[in-house]
Amino acid sequence: MGKAVVITSGKGGVGKTTTTANLGTALALMDKKVCLVDLDIGLRNLDVVLGLDNRIIYDIVDVAEGRAKLPQALIKDKRFNDKLFLLPAAQNADKTSLNPDQVVKIVDELKSDFDYVFLDCPAGIEQGFMNAVAGADNAIVVSTPEISAVRDADRVVGLLEQQSLDKPPMLVINRIRKNMMNEGNMMDVDEITRHLSIELIGIVFDEDEVIATSNKGEPIVLYEKNPAAQGYRDIARRLEGETVPLMSLQEPKKNGFFKRIGAWFKKDK
Amino acid sequence: MQAVVLKGYKNGYELILEPTASFSEIKIELGELMEKLHNDESADRTEKYSFNINTGQLLYTAEQKQELENIFANYPRFSIHKIQSSVIERQEAQEIFDTTTVHVDGDIIRNGQDKLIQGDLLFLGTLHEGGILRATGSIFVLGTANGILCAGHENNTRAVLAGNLSNAQQLRIADLVDVVNEDEEIASTEKMSALFVNDLHALALTQIEELKVKRPKLFIKAGGF
Repeated sequence: MGKAVVITSGKGGVGKTTTTANLGTALALMDKKVCLVDLDIGLRNLDVVLGLDNRIIYDIVDVAEGRAKLPQALIKDKRFNDKLFLLPAAQNADKTSLNPDQVVKIVDELKSDFDYVFLDCPAGIEQGFMNAVAGADNAIVVSTPEISAVRDADRVVGLLEQQSLDKPPMLVINRIRKNMMNEGNMMDVDEITRHLSIELIGIVFDEDEVIATSNKGEPIVLYEKNPAAQGYRDIARRLEGETVPLMSLQEPKKNGFFKRIGAWFKKDK
Repeated sequence: MQAVVLKGYKNGYELILEPTASFSEIKIELGELMEKLHNDESADRTEKYSFNINTGQLLYTAEQKQELENIFANYPRFSIHKIQSSVIERQEAQEIFDTTTVHVDGDIIRNGQDKLIQGDLLFLGTLHEGGILRATGSIFVLGTANGILCAGHENNTRAVLAGNLSNAQQLRIADLVDVVNEDEEIASTEKMSALFVNDLHALALTQIEELKVKRPKLFIKAGGF
């Protein structure tokens, strides 16, 4: 029996879908069987990010309303040896076409086949959010180091705490710009974590390639050397119970020749 | 065993209705007793008597009380002063407990959450921006308050806010509101202070030591010898 994890944020555009796609891919690469469920009915895009959009035949609303069987609607990502599947959202329906009971039923069915079921939550805290949370055992709250995202995350954590989740929500801080944070122009990782007072499960740096690769339908985790990919892989390992230190926020120093010579003469550095 | 006992005190008469006796029994005995008192020739026929009725460990319903009144109605010289009992309802007891205790709260109140406490509150938790913490009584802040504090919910102007209030978004007491960052005095007072409603029905900031003078009743609850 696997576990269902909802990925949510409150605010839109902070990287819920990117996080869902990348965590799912990272875990699939770790040989876990993963199903990604897109619950953003009407505005689906998890399929696009994964490059699976042209293979959709049935969607979650078809399954909920009995027009298709669950296995028929699941789309297999051929890149990962039967490890990664997607249950796409409906495009021509609205958020009220699904209710929490239907989601719970589908997720329960998926949990018996998969190690992880990730529920990609729509932005906002209305019906779509309630649907996503109803099926979840755990929650990951994605925030960026901006006050508006943190406020919304705070609101969402409050709502999640009222749900019967197995444990308190976990936090992912996405889109970190090292230089801005080091200069103090962005909210600090510690500051955000302390403010939300939930467990920090990982940080992800803001890299141009994240957008570039997802435009090609490839999650960034496939590019191992990329720091953002590293961030997602670390989160996947932490979900699996490994202890992985947080990535350093320090920029690697590129000292010039004279600076290096100068450093020899400085005692305290 | 007598169901109705009459006792005389310096300041009046008391009728004790035995809680273990049945109500019908009590009605009969009370009627007999009233009849006897009414016909008592040694008493002054013009004087009026008012009785305190004590029902012991029983609570009488409104109908039962009305029936007692009906018995008394036959005797114009006698009347019921009040009906009392040595017990109260659970709900009433809870209300008394709530409004007379200082509750301790250590929760996190997040953006969009709204928490209401009956009575006074000692707040040790964290109130986030956008969260609202309300109490029908006073709020004493030892934790962190970055949101909206609302004392004297439901118009209790005797309530106060005390603690470090400078980081809150709004301070409210009863129907009065103060927006902290527009109020130099509060925003710059980093140490403990107290906010109360003054005689002109305006919010006023004072030192915490002054609270004893402004709201002496807050301190009656504390015990000691």
